[in-house]
Amino acid sequence: MEDPWGTALALFQVWISILLCLVMLPAMFGLSLGVTGVYIQILVQILEWATLRIQRGRKEKPSVPIPLPNGIIHRDGGSMAQEMLEVRGSRPGGDFTLGDVFYFYKEGMESLVDDQVTQCFSSEELASWNLLTRTNQNFRYISLRLTVIWGVGVFVRYCVLFPLRITLATISVTWLVISTTLVGFLPETSAKHWLSEVAHLMFYRICARGLSATIRYHNKENRPKKGGICVANHTTPIDIIILANDRCYAMVGQVHGGLMGVIQRSMVRSCPHVWFERTELKDRNTVTNRLREHVACEDKLPILIFPEGTCINNTSVMMFKKGSFEIGGTIYPVAIKYDPRFGDAFWNSAKYNMVSYLLRTMTSWAIVVNVWYLPPMTRLDQEDASQFAQRVKSAIALKGGLIDMAWDGGLKRARVKDSLKEEQQKMYSSMIVGPDGPSDLAATPPLLDLQD
Amino acid sequence: MGALNSLPDEPQYVGLAEKTGFSFEQIGILHKRFKQLSNNGETLRREDFNTIPDLLCNPIRSEIIEAFFDRRNFRQTDAVGTVHEIGFGEFLLVMSHFRPPSIRLDDEQKEVIRMEKLRFLFNMHDTDNDGTITLEEYRHVVEELLSRSGALGKETAKGIADAAMLEVASISMGHMEPDEFYEGITFEHFNKLLKEFEVESRMNIRFMNMDTTTLCK
Repeated sequence: MEDPWGTALALFQVWISILLCLVMLPAMFGLSLGVTGVYIQILVQILEWATLRIQRGRKEKPSVPIPLPNGIIHRDGGSMAQEMLEVRGSRPGGDFTLGDVFYFYKEGMESLVDDQVTQCFSSEELASWNLLTRTNQNFRYISLRLTVIWGVGVFVRYCVLFPLRITLATISVTWLVISTTLVGFLPETSAKHWLSEVAHLMFYRICARGLSATIRYHNKENRPKKGGICVANHTTPIDIIILANDRCYAMVGQVHGGLMGVIQRSMVRSCPHVWFERTELKDRNTVTNRLREHVACEDKLPILIFPEGTCINNTSVMMFKKGSFEIGGTIYPVAIKYDPRFGDAFWNSAKYNMVSYLLRTMTSWAIVVNVWYLPPMTRLDQEDASQFAQRVKSAIALKGGLIDMAWDGGLKRARVKDSLKEEQQKMYSSMIVGPDGPSDLAATPPLLDLQD
Repeated sequence: MGALNSLPDEPQYVGLAEKTGFSFEQIGILHKRFKQLSNNGETLRREDFNTIPDLLCNPIRSEIIEAFFDRRNFRQTDAVGTVHEIGFGEFLLVMSHFRPPSIRLDDEQKEVIRMEKLRFLFNMHDTDNDGTITLEEYRHVVEELLSRSGALGKETAKGIADAAMLEVASISMGHMEPDEFYEGITFEHFNKLLKEFEVESRMNIRFMNMDTTTLCK
């Protein structure tokens, strides 16, 4: 009778050694065996076939609703003055007519049906189904072949890819903790810096392989240099892995407990990162000063900051908080754009916690992402921190093909400030009163006389 | 299992489509929006509308939000009063007042739709349901649109409201005797005031149509 434990152990050893050879060794040297590339190509073929099949199915059954990724309604997009002009037929000014209210009715109803901000905090809607159950919002049964392929996909993702990815994740975290602790024992020499970089890079590379990530870096000549600050748009915690695959950064963040805490403490042993206690974060000056100290030191790694403050769904860029831009130094903007066909990278922290988010990501097809390095920017004399932040944000939005939005990412959790509510009222009243002042007011007797 | 699901509540959609005039596609879209606003719940409350920043900036947001909870807009004859929460059916009924018009309508049908939309707007301002928009209610609208602080002083805003009301009175009643009392704008007056106004074309939400040929890139 065979010994079941013996065979299980042997299989496990074979599995681990295959992984070591095929994944870890290439990761050490930054090479790739090309397996992920082939996988992505096959996936693209399958998804294109699926799209055509769904289209054909739609033509046969026209009652199937079509998803609209660009917004639901047609908006005029004119300014308040233009619309009032249309409504009145003449330039508004001097008095109030009932028709003026129509502009506000229409705007109100339109924002009820479709508004920009709420859309930013829900996952991007795909134009065609990518064979994942979770993105199946409007797609219904079309054909047997499609369903079979979807079923095979489920099996591959959950029974083949998922265990592989979990193993890789465990290996990478173990590697990181061990290697950085060992490097931390060395004295401060350039050899230590180099070893620490290798250790970190290996960790991130194994993680990236663990997610089947294909990352394309553009304009590598603009890569962030030491003593600078790297800012990027934020979609998911995986952004860090994506960026750190290319060079090492000094991370900025809050001290956590548990597994994250272990990782943080071991990382900081080999090279300086900036971790804040929760109480320190409340005081803006402490934060700015510490970051300034770090940036002032020329041979420290560049800091990585996400000025939006929260995760956005990768269709637009929301307001950049000006705190990061007050530190000084050179800013290296980076634009990150995920390809939504292979998996939804957006972390909707209101809907999913970290663990379920990681599970979802590890059972998606892959992560395909484009990273653009933009030329460095510094603050000009005549602009203040918020204008500079706006300038950087527009550059990132332009390069990444994202929409540049003026809204604050904090609206995910907080309400609109009262001052914004008054803006529309002020605009309208200045139109009514006009540059000539209110007309005919002195001539009319108070209405109360009529009611006596 | 995703691929094998049919559209949820399809028989309910048929009923709603008949009552409101929206197409299945539009109902599906609005249902998704309803779920987004209500956090996947079955009913919407007034607070749920506060999650839309664009709406919060609108000066007459409270009237617009109230219109959704006003039973007069639920197309039930003689229903009055307000409710605390609405389901998807009521949401759709109120939205249908802003439905894009079908092209193939004769004049009589257009008139009916126009009356419906005007009635909806009238109800929005006639908050006590006495059939007239009184001076107070009208002044309330004007003051909401104008700024209460900053650019316009309180007296100026009041003056503009009074002037507007006077104009309305003169249009509706013609010349008034010194002892005549102007009660307020009735629905007929309201109609007369907005006679030249293209309510049918201005009060519409136009849904976008997705062309299937752009899907495959």
